[in-house]
Amino acid sequence: MKNRDTFVHERSPAWAELDRLLNQLSVKTTPTGEQVARLGRLYRDICSDVMSARSQGAGPDVTAHLDALAARAHNHLYEARPHRIGLARQLLVRDFPRALRKNLGFFLASLGLFGLPMLIGTLGALHSRDFAMAVLPNEMLEQMAESYREGFNSGRDADADAAMAGFYVYNNVGIAFRCFATGVLFGLGSIFFLVYNGLVIGTVLGHVTASGAGLNILAFVSGHSAFELTAIVISGGAGLQMGYALISTRGKTRLGSLRAQAKDLVALIAGAAAMLLIAAAIEGFWSPSAVPMQVKWGVGAANVLGVATFLAFAGRSPKLAKPEGSS
Amino acid sequence: MEASIDHSPGIDTTLDIDTPEQVRFSFRLAGPAQRSAAYLIDLLVRGALVTIIGVGFSLASLFDDGFGAGLGLLLIFLLEWGYYIASEMLMNGQSIGKRALHLRVVRENGLPLSFSDSFLRNLLRAADFLPFMNALGLLVLSLDSKFRRLGDLVAGTVVVSEERQDIRPLIAIQPPPSAEELSRLPRQLNLTRLDIDALELFLRRSGHLNPAREQELAEMVAPMYATRFSVRYHNPVRFLALLYHRATRGDAA
Repeated sequence: MKNRDTFVHERSPAWAELDRLLNQLSVKTTPTGEQVARLGRLYRDICSDVMSARSQGAGPDVTAHLDALAARAHNHLYEARPHRIGLARQLLVRDFPRALRKNLGFFLASLGLFGLPMLIGTLGALHSRDFAMAVLPNEMLEQMAESYREGFNSGRDADADAAMAGFYVYNNVGIAFRCFATGVLFGLGSIFFLVYNGLVIGTVLGHVTASGAGLNILAFVSGHSAFELTAIVISGGAGLQMGYALISTRGKTRLGSLRAQAKDLVALIAGAAAMLLIAAAIEGFWSPSAVPMQVKWGVGAANVLGVATFLAFAGRSPKLAKPEGSS
Repeated sequence: MEASIDHSPGIDTTLDIDTPEQVRFSFRLAGPAQRSAAYLIDLLVRGALVTIIGVGFSLASLFDDGFGAGLGLLLIFLLEWGYYIASEMLMNGQSIGKRALHLRVVRENGLPLSFSDSFLRNLLRAADFLPFMNALGLLVLSLDSKFRRLGDLVAGTVVVSEERQDIRPLIAIQPPPSAEELSRLPRQLNLTRLDIDALELFLRRSGHLNPAREQELAEMVAPMYATRFSVRYHNPVRFLALLYHRATRGDAA
């Protein structure tokens, strides 16, 4: 190199200008056209400076200085794409059901891992009180049985409904997210959470029924369970899918195999989260209401049908390829 | 010096980016210490927000039967799962803690992260957190060549450091090398760019190191160079400084 000092001396005014510009831009949200143009110019210059510095051996601190400046400028020039609401809709009403149908095997596996322990829990708790007490502490069982004994003929206070809805969002969406995330441990976490939650839910159902309030709890859960249980199974299935991608790589690297699933996983989890929010609203405000039991059954059946229809048929129409396409 | 471009990896942990402009530059990757510090700051911020929400809605619940509690739980849920996603979207890959430490999340190709990248990497925090206090995440991150935790691995993201790097004046060895000292070294030193950079990084730290430690470190590499150039030395630190001087300035004293 002709001389490190000459190089630094000649170019440092431009570097200082870029540094100043980046500092200004990091506090100001919308840059002016002039600033953007100048930033582009300075960025191209610094890119060539990085190359010169590296090829001609300007020393580690000069190279590091230029690399850092180039990186900052790069991060400003290539800002994230704007987020349009149409994309979120497309994710939920098109990509989500498509991803579910595409990976139906994982959904079914998850259904088995959740449904079977739930069945065992229900039958076990119906059959023997000792079984229920082995799964859950006695006080909790008593509390559950107590809370469904009365039924909901008198309804519940609206504020209490809101409190419970908030709790359901916090608790149930958290469960679903954990059910998914821990699947990265070769699926083991998802398997654990699916089996555990299935067993607990089944046991509560069986115990409350055994204590004589079976119709009350079934009427209560009929409204939201189509959304809630399906969403938990979907999250678990996505977790299993993630874990399986680590085990069966189909000729890719483990990481590459995992990455290939990312798009589907995002769609599945976003969809499951949306379903859980709907479930929390129903569970908080509709399920404990004083509406006659027969109406609750009817609405519950309609919800099951609606969820199944949506998951089976949404996103099949090619018109949905455009976000603003159909209703 | 020859004008070929050295594509060998640098001494620091870096991520090389080939931009659409057909140039290559390096991001410095953020290690476990910086990541943990940023995490702690974010933890404090979130803790403060949860406390404010908690106190606020507990006070509100004195006047209603739980509407405030419901809203509070909803907000705490959003904070627990959405804090990072929201801030990474609003601040182009930064959270408050990351901003304080000049860190930023980018995709592995250097481009800014999208919503789905951020969504995945932050949901996976639930797995990184296991079995307690992010132990698994820290372990995975420390073993990975690009310091990625599980969430980064799944989403294809890395955390880079944007800290400013200052240019310092060239190193002048004290006392200046005598002609006699220089005459003992070969005229042409066959040192690579990486060798010279390593020497420079070592010499720049010499004022900050404990003298005994400095000697110890120098003694680890000095014999290698002594054998390569068939020379002998008394003081390893001085020897490395002379090598650096000869490699960068030739004969000038």
